[in-house]
Amino acid sequence: MTEGDYRHVYIVIEHEEGRLLQVSLEMLGEARRILDDFNKKYTSKEKVVAVLLGYNIKDIPKTLIQHGADAVICADNPELKYIRNTIYTKTISQIATDRDMASKIEPEYATQFKRPRYMFFAADSIGRHLSATVLAHLESGLASDINKLVVGDLQITHQNKTGGKPLTYEKTLEMYRPDFSGFLWTTILCLDNKNPAVSRDYHPQACSIIPGVFEIIQPDQNRDGKIIEYTPKFDEQDLKVKIIDRKIIKSEIDFDSHKTIVSFGRGVKDSPEQNIKLIEQLAAELDAQIGITLPLSKRPFSVSQTVDSTYLIPDRVIGTSGRKVNPKLYIAVGISGAMQHIAGMKESEIIIAINPDENALIKDECDVFIKGRMEDVVPVLIEEIRKQKQVIQA
Amino acid sequence: MDSINTAVIVKLEPDFSEGNVSYNPDGTLNRAETKNILGPHSAIAVSAAFYAKVKYGAKISIGTMGPPMAESMLQQAQLMSNADELCLFSDRIFAGADTLATAEVLKAGVQKMQGKMDVVFSGHRASDGETGQTGPQTAWKLGMTFLGHVIDYEINLESRTIRAKRLVRMQGVYDVVEEVEAPLPVFIAIDPSYKPRFNTVSQRLAYEKYQKEANERAQNFKQYLKVFNAIQIEADPKLIGISGSPTIVYKVERIPKGKAARQAEIIDGSNQEQIRKVVVRLRQSLSTAVIK
Amino acid sequence: MLEKYDVAIIGGGSAGLAALKQLSTLGKQAILFESGNKIGAKNISGGILYSKKPKKGKVYNVEDIYENFLQDAPFERKITKYILHATSKDKVFSIDLTAAHEYEANFGCSVLMNKLNQWFSQQAGEAAQKHGGGIVTGVHVSSIRWEDGRTIIQTDELEEIEVKAIIAADGVNSEVAYMTGARQKFSPSELYQGVKVVAKLPEEIINQRFSIGQDEGAAHLFAGDVTLNHIGGGFLYTNRDTLSLGAVYHLDSLLETPNEPYELVNTLLKNPMISEFVKDEVPVRGEIDKDAAKEEQMRIRFAVTKMIKTWSELRDNYYSKKGKERLIKEGKYGSPEEIGTQLSSLRDQMSTKYGIKFETDYVEVEYSAKLVPDGKRCRMEKPYFRNILFVGDAAGRGIFVGPRIEGLNVGIDDAVRAANTVARALDKGDFTEKYLGEYYSQSIEESPYTHDLKAIDKDYLKIFLDAAKEVPKDIISSKYGLVVKMMSSDTLRSFAVGFANILGYEKLLPIIETVDTYVKVPTELAERLGKSISASYTPTLPSIAQRVAKLKFNDDSISHIKVLKPTSEFMKKMVTLCPTRCYLMEEEGVMIQHEGCIECGTCSEETDWKHPRGEKGINYQYG
Repeated sequence: MTEGDYRHVYIVIEHEEGRLLQVSLEMLGEARRILDDFNKKYTSKEKVVAVLLGYNIKDIPKTLIQHGADAVICADNPELKYIRNTIYTKTISQIATDRDMASKIEPEYATQFKRPRYMFFAADSIGRHLSATVLAHLESGLASDINKLVVGDLQITHQNKTGGKPLTYEKTLEMYRPDFSGFLWTTILCLDNKNPAVSRDYHPQACSIIPGVFEIIQPDQNRDGKIIEYTPKFDEQDLKVKIIDRKIIKSEIDFDSHKTIVSFGRGVKDSPEQNIKLIEQLAAELDAQIGITLPLSKRPFSVSQTVDSTYLIPDRVIGTSGRKVNPKLYIAVGISGAMQHIAGMKESEIIIAINPDENALIKDECDVFIKGRMEDVVPVLIEEIRKQKQVIQA
Repeated sequence: MDSINTAVIVKLEPDFSEGNVSYNPDGTLNRAETKNILGPHSAIAVSAAFYAKVKYGAKISIGTMGPPMAESMLQQAQLMSNADELCLFSDRIFAGADTLATAEVLKAGVQKMQGKMDVVFSGHRASDGETGQTGPQTAWKLGMTFLGHVIDYEINLESRTIRAKRLVRMQGVYDVVEEVEAPLPVFIAIDPSYKPRFNTVSQRLAYEKYQKEANERAQNFKQYLKVFNAIQIEADPKLIGISGSPTIVYKVERIPKGKAARQAEIIDGSNQEQIRKVVVRLRQSLSTAVIK
Repeated sequence: MLEKYDVAIIGGGSAGLAALKQLSTLGKQAILFESGNKIGAKNISGGILYSKKPKKGKVYNVEDIYENFLQDAPFERKITKYILHATSKDKVFSIDLTAAHEYEANFGCSVLMNKLNQWFSQQAGEAAQKHGGGIVTGVHVSSIRWEDGRTIIQTDELEEIEVKAIIAADGVNSEVAYMTGARQKFSPSELYQGVKVVAKLPEEIINQRFSIGQDEGAAHLFAGDVTLNHIGGGFLYTNRDTLSLGAVYHLDSLLETPNEPYELVNTLLKNPMISEFVKDEVPVRGEIDKDAAKEEQMRIRFAVTKMIKTWSELRDNYYSKKGKERLIKEGKYGSPEEIGTQLSSLRDQMSTKYGIKFETDYVEVEYSAKLVPDGKRCRMEKPYFRNILFVGDAAGRGIFVGPRIEGLNVGIDDAVRAANTVARALDKGDFTEKYLGEYYSQSIEESPYTHDLKAIDKDYLKIFLDAAKEVPKDIISSKYGLVVKMMSSDTLRSFAVGFANILGYEKLLPIIETVDTYVKVPTELAERLGKSISASYTPTLPSIAQRVAKLKFNDDSISHIKVLKPTSEFMKKMVTLCPTRCYLMEEEGVMIQHEGCIECGTCSEETDWKHPRGEKGINYQYG
């Protein structure tokens, strides 16, 4: 292994019809941070390389560069419009091992480049499976559902890998994975192959990354980066897999990209129509998504058709039989705190509850408990939030 | 028209339900004290194969890599599916495998099953650590088209194709149900939300019939059971077990304690000043993330 | 192309299953639709299942349909002791009515419907498969229509099918009856509301406590102050290793002075005699140190759960003859003593290691409720509609005579008659009301059970008079004076019964079914003659929320009940009378909560009431 065999972090970007998934930018942000440290520590110039597949995606590379990519390898082809595992796996693998591509990123290592050093995928519906098949194809190691990454030179003593003797593995990616219990962190390493009997090259060291963990860096309009076109080669046989239909599930109740969620429960019952309007206003001020508790999805009140079909729907239910959310701020209005609801929101960073009953179960599950009727409390909140906004703007 | 051959890859997992699971004081699972069962996602994969039996008269082979005690789990799986063949791939040399090395064993194992497979099913993931990679990696090694997150499927026996619905969740955007058509063979990872759907009374009656037959078969499951070691499945010893695993577990540690259990500060709702202070504090503690 | 089947049976309770079994025995093709996710999921009974040998006429008994019933069926215990207790506060006066229980009976056994109906379904399902039929669960029939001489059944789950005849066995809240208009909903005056809890108690402790042998069982009935002035009574039946305890009260009486159904059960549980009947040794978890690390708290919680589970399973086996035999046969233990030693060592570990305490309390495992049709008042005059035959509860055929409450056996008898009728029609290819419905109607008219729904049996009455011989005449005579005098004399009794039967049940019932009969007389009896009983502990009564939390539900996103008259008097009373407190009083009227509905139908009179869709709703574990 010589300097130049393995270089760069390759990141498999995810988007839906040109709309970037948040996690793509989060991966770029983390790669940027890791590589900046890496380049400093090893006085190197390795790059953050975004791998982008799709059709009519000309606008995306720029955004990726602004968010930390040094280069974007872009395969723009009608066959790649939607993700089909086989052709995606082959195309990504081709890109990862393509010396031409690498030379366009960094001409000085053109003849040496074998494979990326590290490779990131998203740990979601798309990346989880794609990472598995790409790494099966590249025959290297993969750790999944990572939420912390560290690079270091590690001295390892391992019965099988080092024959029980200490051995140093340089520039090794420590991939931290929360255990199924939620209490333990397992660190996975993909170690260079040092067994000559096995003709495998354990690079890239790859992982899939949990969405919502890493910070996106502030976009910089002036960042420079290379955009490199890649022309994929397809096997006829692989194109027999066809996507016949795609239906967007129009729930569109997106809790994940909102930093705040305002939820209401049976506490709105005194005058549901007006109270739901209040909630609506509060949510608007906070750019919050609106959630409800399960009983409300069963239409217990008579409210106007619009309010009914907009809010009292199963898609908004948070809890055991609905969605699990973890926003920065969760405001529970008139929610008593049934166990089933708590299960869906307890991971929120800050929880505020508004409830007239001090014995409500939610009191033990929140950070701030405002004892009072929502009719009295929410208007004050709205008013004060407006005031604070003006303070910020001023 | 020939029916199809299906295989299901299942996994023996600890029973995590309260009343059955035990933990060690260091927070790790007490494996000795915790009973093992057919993993819940594996069970869903088995039910998906059973659907093919009821609907298309498919043959079912169920395989697992695991210790000898995994036998009883295969029996459990047969009870659910009226499986025609049970395969246990068991060898000390398999131990310590990561997903790539596990996939190597399963690939070799599937190739030892009776008949050429048209559809192979796996669960979405295991509940005890492995994370949904083994299925797709086995698929890749078998050279089969991989379809993940499948929530529904129909097979055309004449054209030897499958139509599958996949649930793709895209965080922050929306979810999509995608319908895919692919020539057989395919490898399917079944989505946790899958539920076999039978539309007609005759299918439901067939279901009952096979279920009854499954009871009888599972009583004599050993007649259907084949146990293979590494040599018998003809796996390359360099590619399986610890030797065949690119990854190792370097260390296990406690995740530093997050915020303590919540202790609510109580605000009197009739005191407007106090409510206002909450908002001010929020702005500060959450920076401008919330109020901007 | 519609799939075609000869017969559809709607409802997989014991009546529907008996119809399926009988049709299959006769070589006919029949399919049975059950909306629960499995057979038994929605079945509730008190319950005792009788096998009868009437002096006149013939009934079809459970063992006629399932020949191996007595050898193989998982019924609980044959009831060999039948005792009525009159209560007043801590005083109880007991009358042995075993003779009434044995009257015209081959046997009567306690049952839990979930287990038993699953056994029935295995027998019936297997038989039906041989003729191209079978059982289809998780399917809710949503409509039946007749088109160009074809009968088409639509379900919420499967494609439509065509059938030649239908047997409706969908219970007291029969949707088939409502959707076809075959009958009106039963009115409160025609119904009883039953609530029940199942309590766990190891087998041999039951044997000892109720002084019964391995193969015997006891039934205890309660009247007096425990009924809180309602017309009806309490019951406690011994099962194999559980007890069924409940109350059945006239819905009219409940509507008049509403009491929460769970409070009625609680009142029974608080009676010292019953408290003592149900008591057991119960492990109580120690407090987990809230300051400990979260994972440590979790570890302890899981360890405690597991330990309690292990102990309780071992204990159940230790107190069961079969359990002990099995453990020894499996080679886990050498002798019963060894099991006992292990049990007490486990118990020690529990208290020393985890601070688990052992207290005297009782262990409730399931709460349930059901409406019971009073056949005297509400049986369908014409239990058919076009080519549909109604059986059992769906036809309103429950027997309520004094302490005699029978439904299961009546349903089975009806089902066989309906099956025979349908088989006959299939043979002839004639599904007209005349050939099908009228023949069936005639057949059940001939059933001795129908006779019991119409007239008083003087021999049955005599048993009570004999049993009450010791009772001072002034207690009873003050209320019924002349009637009792007439009844006490053999010659006059025939005359009195004859006279009563001329009057008919209709005129007689208001005289017999009164607070005097069910409450005042028993209370006075207990006060004057009863023995004082004291309880050694006070049972911890679960709240209704806790009871509901224990039940298994598969929530249906579409609500199956719609409130039609939120401000009616009836609906206001539902706030109290709904057994799972599904209704709340709001400013604008009564509002339904949906969560926790156990589909009893108490509110059906003034609501748009359907069963939930297939697999949805309540999923009872005992029944």
